[in-house]
Amino acid sequence: MRNPVSVLRLPRGPDPNSRGFDPNSPRFLALCPTSISSSTGSGSDPVQMGEEQCARSALREGFLRALVAMTNKPVQFDMYERVKVHATFGSSDIDVLNFQVSDLHTPIGVQKEALLRCQDVILYSFDL
Amino acid sequence: MVEWRQLKPLEWCKYVNKKVKVTAQEKHQYDGWVFTVDPVSASIVLVTVQEKGGTATVRVVTGHAVLEVEVLQEGSEETACWLRDVFTPPGGRILSPEDLRCRKESLRLWLEKNRIPVEEEGETLRVANVLTVSAPYGAGNCSSSNEIILARVQCVIESNPGLALQEPDNS
Repeated sequence: MRNPVSVLRLPRGPDPNSRGFDPNSPRFLALCPTSISSSTGSGSDPVQMGEEQCARSALREGFLRALVAMTNKPVQFDMYERVKVHATFGSSDIDVLNFQVSDLHTPIGVQKEALLRCQDVILYSFDL
Repeated sequence: MVEWRQLKPLEWCKYVNKKVKVTAQEKHQYDGWVFTVDPVSASIVLVTVQEKGGTATVRVVTGHAVLEVEVLQEGSEETACWLRDVFTPPGGRILSPEDLRCRKESLRLWLEKNRIPVEEEGETLRVANVLTVSAPYGAGNCSSSNEIILARVQCVIESNPGLALQEPDNS
């Protein structure tokens, strides 16, 4: 059994000024420009917009199902600089910027609860 | 290749149900069948099956790490079904048209017995003109704009004794 690690740093709380999923928040604009990409501006044909929105929701539904399948399972995270860690997946935030995990096995010990920054992760994998 | 994250949802859709090779940052390469691409993070969900054992492994490449995606093989109706089934939660079962018809009939009779006006509209049941119940005709399949009626009808559906006999143990 690996040594448990005491909490090194508490994560920063949510922004008190934001209303949750706010596309104008600085965090969102800095980190998540892709989720507002769509066929806007000239030539935005309503039929195409409708098709695009259907495609977007079908794709997102699939991804949410994959996240649900991942819940409470051991997941391996391959990060930058050849760092590989594994943990039990808890949940993700709506922008897929942070993952909440439990029992994160790190080189210095086991972190009971942790937040992983998705920007640091290249690949995450699990078995069904 | 245009940057992966700049693609539109319809373009991402073209990769679904195809076997691809993803080249990611730090010279990583991963291949697998594309189940979906998250429109928020552009992450690609790849599914592979081990040769022995048959367990499926799911690997998700985060959108910001994707450099290139190359299509290796086109998928078929069979692979599309298999991919869908892989993520279906256990316990969910496909009901045959017979089963669906039985359930609809059972529900309709129960509602009529409780003096609730109900009409059949194709595959759905229309209750008191303000609520619809679609397949598989459970309490969770009701749709209405009126909360009070919704709650009442859901209670009635849940207390349907006929359905309790039909359903197998769903625990």
